[in-house]
Amino acid sequence: MSYIDYILKVNDLSLDFGSESSKTLHDISFDLRKGEILGLIGNSGCGKTMTSLSVSGLLPKEARITSGNIIFDGKDLLKLSEKEMRNIRGKEIAMIFQEPYTALDPLKTVYKNLEEVLTEHEDLTKDERRQRITGMLRRVGFEDADIILGRYPHELSGGQRQRVLIAGACLLKPKLMIADEPTSSLDTVTSMSILELIKSLCAEFRMSVLFISHDLSVVGGICDRVIVMQSGKIVDSGNTFDLLYNPINPYTAGLLSNSRLDPKILDLKFNKPSFSSECILRVTGLSAGYESSRGFRKVRNEVIHDITFKILNGECIGLIGSSGCGKTTLTRAVSGLIKPTSGTISDMKGRLGVVFQDPVTCLNPSHTVKWHLEEPLKANHIKLAPSELIKVTRSSLEAVGLEEKILGRKPSQLSGGQRQRVAIAMCLMLSPSLIIADEPLSSLDTTSGARILDLLSKINRERNTSILLISHNLRVIRAATSYVLVMDNGRIVEDGPTLNVLSDPKSECTKKLLLAEEKLHQNPDRNQFMTE
Amino acid sequence: MRKKISPYFIVGSIFLLVIVLSCILGLLGAGPDPEKTNSASKLMAPSMSHLMGTDNLGRDVFARVLSASKYTLLISFAGVTVALVIGTVAGMLAGYFGGIWDRIIMLLGNSVMCFPGILLALVAVAVSGPSLFNVIWALGLVFAPTFARVYRTEVIKIKGRDYILHAKILKVNPIRIMAVHIFPNAFAQIIPAIVIGLANMTLSESAMSYLGLGVQPPKASYGKILSDAQSYITAAPWLVIFPSLMLVIYILGLYFISEGIRGDK
Amino acid sequence: MKERITYILSRVLELILTLLLVSLFTFAAFSVIPGDTAQTILGPNATPEQVEILREKMGLNDPLAFRYLSWLKGAFTGNFGNSISFNSSVSSLIVSRLPVTFGLSLLALILVLVIAYPSAVISSRRPGKFWDQVFSVFGHVSFAIPPFVLSLLSVLLASKVFGYFAVGKYVSPAKDFGGYLYCLLLPAFCIAVPKIAMTFKFLRASILTEKNNDYVRTSKSRGLSDIKIMFKHILPNSNVSVITALSIVLSDLLGGSLIVEQVFNLPGLGRLLLQAIGRRDFPLLSGIVFYLATMMVIIYFLADILMNMCDPRLRRNRGEL
Repeated sequence: MSYIDYILKVNDLSLDFGSESSKTLHDISFDLRKGEILGLIGNSGCGKTMTSLSVSGLLPKEARITSGNIIFDGKDLLKLSEKEMRNIRGKEIAMIFQEPYTALDPLKTVYKNLEEVLTEHEDLTKDERRQRITGMLRRVGFEDADIILGRYPHELSGGQRQRVLIAGACLLKPKLMIADEPTSSLDTVTSMSILELIKSLCAEFRMSVLFISHDLSVVGGICDRVIVMQSGKIVDSGNTFDLLYNPINPYTAGLLSNSRLDPKILDLKFNKPSFSSECILRVTGLSAGYESSRGFRKVRNEVIHDITFKILNGECIGLIGSSGCGKTTLTRAVSGLIKPTSGTISDMKGRLGVVFQDPVTCLNPSHTVKWHLEEPLKANHIKLAPSELIKVTRSSLEAVGLEEKILGRKPSQLSGGQRQRVAIAMCLMLSPSLIIADEPLSSLDTTSGARILDLLSKINRERNTSILLISHNLRVIRAATSYVLVMDNGRIVEDGPTLNVLSDPKSECTKKLLLAEEKLHQNPDRNQFMTE
Repeated sequence: MRKKISPYFIVGSIFLLVIVLSCILGLLGAGPDPEKTNSASKLMAPSMSHLMGTDNLGRDVFARVLSASKYTLLISFAGVTVALVIGTVAGMLAGYFGGIWDRIIMLLGNSVMCFPGILLALVAVAVSGPSLFNVIWALGLVFAPTFARVYRTEVIKIKGRDYILHAKILKVNPIRIMAVHIFPNAFAQIIPAIVIGLANMTLSESAMSYLGLGVQPPKASYGKILSDAQSYITAAPWLVIFPSLMLVIYILGLYFISEGIRGDK
Repeated sequence: MKERITYILSRVLELILTLLLVSLFTFAAFSVIPGDTAQTILGPNATPEQVEILREKMGLNDPLAFRYLSWLKGAFTGNFGNSISFNSSVSSLIVSRLPVTFGLSLLALILVLVIAYPSAVISSRRPGKFWDQVFSVFGHVSFAIPPFVLSLLSVLLASKVFGYFAVGKYVSPAKDFGGYLYCLLLPAFCIAVPKIAMTFKFLRASILTEKNNDYVRTSKSRGLSDIKIMFKHILPNSNVSVITALSIVLSDLLGGSLIVEQVFNLPGLGRLLLQAIGRRDFPLLSGIVFYLATMMVIIYFLADILMNMCDPRLRRNRGEL
């Protein structure tokens, strides 16, 4: 007989916001075994966050649990008082979230931020606390733990802050850790290191993890089993190996292909320029940077050095590199926002369009879509007859897959994916010869992201527009680009046809990126909990 | 998405309407002559013939209050307009261009702000004599730095956002960026400041009138009426109560409206 | 460390520049005044020759820049010359009035802190519910009542209802400290009321904003109770914006004090200012104005430094914001 030890059992959990129509969770049932890492996957709005909040008891006031129970370590959490729940939080159940800037109190040092976990649940002397915290900081990867203790959150990078938060979550060796999209805002290399950390902590402390994400393929490297949610229901579940290799459920298969960006399935075809194509942008020896003032003096900070490359007509070229390598600065220099210190940008034929990463801030909240589309024309002093204007507007909207009725709407009335498309449509109004897309998929979930990429491929094919695609996600690059530039520390360290570079990397940097990607999306080799 | 109208907004608008109405009535000359003195009916308590009583010179208080409404409204709106124009332009330039311009403008603004509101207006009026015009520009000047500050903070926040960067890439004319791209977004933040500014300006003006440096007799604003009434406060409390009431209603109305607008954020 | 020093130096430089500008404004304002100062002193019966002699003696015929510089020198050494209407030096007059103005401002500040803080904390625990509505409405009404109206009404109320007859009787603190406090209490309260309302508004808004921040969520997930989170995290983070509000309050106290001193007949700086304006006593006027403005600049400066101490993010002087 096999006996499986459960740490968490959720039975028939239903949740709404006060009325039948606002039902967010429908009879959710799943279980989590001791020491297991369970993935909870789905697109935005599927209910995964609500599920995790129900377990930790941190639901918003308006939420109402209408049925079901949550058995944690033998106790029904829904029947406990708030005081009893507070005892459990931080000590037996810990949570880590997607890392926005202020998950740590900005006025307190790292030490003070972490100390409260200990003072809340245990009686230790100051020295004991200091020891424990320093020890845990070392465990999560800070070699200079003593120095980090005295740092403030704004002095740390995104990855470092997430590590601090993980340290805080593990200080009391909780039985269950709920990780809600912990790596979604981090780049590939950092994400991989965070996931490795979680995996090793889980093994060392025999901690169970509920891992929430929207990217099905990421969980391959970390989860033992996976549950797939859609619209508040569980539509698929099983061990990771089966789900990733033999997805039976069509929804799961769809998520997987969106995430993998397999061009055969998604019909992503980008142009491959021939040797005789003309060059539409040539950058030679470009260096640029920023100025900042320290007191009275101005300090010059050179970020990119000696960049040389060219873009051909109709080509889709990729730019990869880890955070801080200078990709954004390069974009700014090429698009004219900052003046280069040296080097030239020449042979620029036609106009330039830029698409930014964040769909929230890419559109002006006070103006309608129509205004946004007309503004590029006004700025360039292009006067069109009203009938011409309508034609151009219509074709731009059609190219991005939006309907005309969207013209009267304001950004607050659009979804993230729609806003991203309006941003692309804005570029199209000028019939640019080159579109620079800076991490256009990073803030969208996999399904929306795949659609945007599809969109870009159509534009590239049908209008012969060149695209400079910047991304830290190698799958995107592989699927879309024919030529790729690799940047590290402000310089181009490698470049060449995409397939060549990514299958036979020559520089250390490229090798590191590929390794990270492999580990992130790796397929699990075994499921260790078949029998106990 | 339907916006619910806040009860604050409704109450505030009603209050404001009362004042506007009294202003209109005053302009139309309804009621008895505010400047007609009558020694026979000095200091009479409110009655049917004198709704708010009479003052020490026998003038009908109701009529005086009505006629004073227009000065109050005029001064506060005109003053705020002056402050708004100066403050918005200064704040926009300081915020958008930054660097040395920012420091210069902020330095100027700080120097003006160092004279507590009323003080500067008092000095300005003491220097060039009390008149309606002087009161307006003095108050406007004093309130401008506050608007400039609020505006500048907003502009700085907005100018780093992607859609402004995008506009710069498109090579939109900087003036157009400031006026069309940034302004509508920053303005929303200023609205509460404007309403509070209207209220504060009224307070300042009434304080100045109280001290004899605002509008000159026979014109009167609420503050002037109150200052005249001070010595009779125990004998004829209605002289103080009614003008105070009007003043409070006006200011409360403005505050409630500002709450109502901000409440939706 | 070097960064800190450069930062403080640049702020001090700004301070000095601001003061210079302030002095320029003051001097400019007073030198374009219509009406001849010497004439005013000697009265309407003086002969033109007498006026001219006095002008020469007072240095009124010297070039403008020269007069500005000598005035400036005097200003920085605290010497503003002698008052025209009173028979003593400007500085001694100012000093004699300080106990009242200082006392009022300090008392008012204490009242603001003691009343606004607790009510803001209580209000923000359940926004929109009972206590919040009560405090908010109170706040609005208090804000709307002009200080002199409040003073007039409270004099009326106090004397008729409570038999509080301290109006008009001012006792120096040297003679009787208790009495000094007693007679300043009601005026201080009148000044404080609108400031309490404003601070309450600011603090409440600030707390509600901070509540939405993610560190609250982090602390909650660690099992801290709402009250603990309020005192450990939310209030300290709200303090930064409240310091801005408080510095405005402090600077405004002077404006409120002006009126209140008039109504309650207290011999403070505000009263002196009004008298100086009435008598066109320009040396006195310029002295008071300069003194007040300097206090303001120093208060803002201190508030800025305080803010920087409270929030480590502001400590580095960034060129880009």
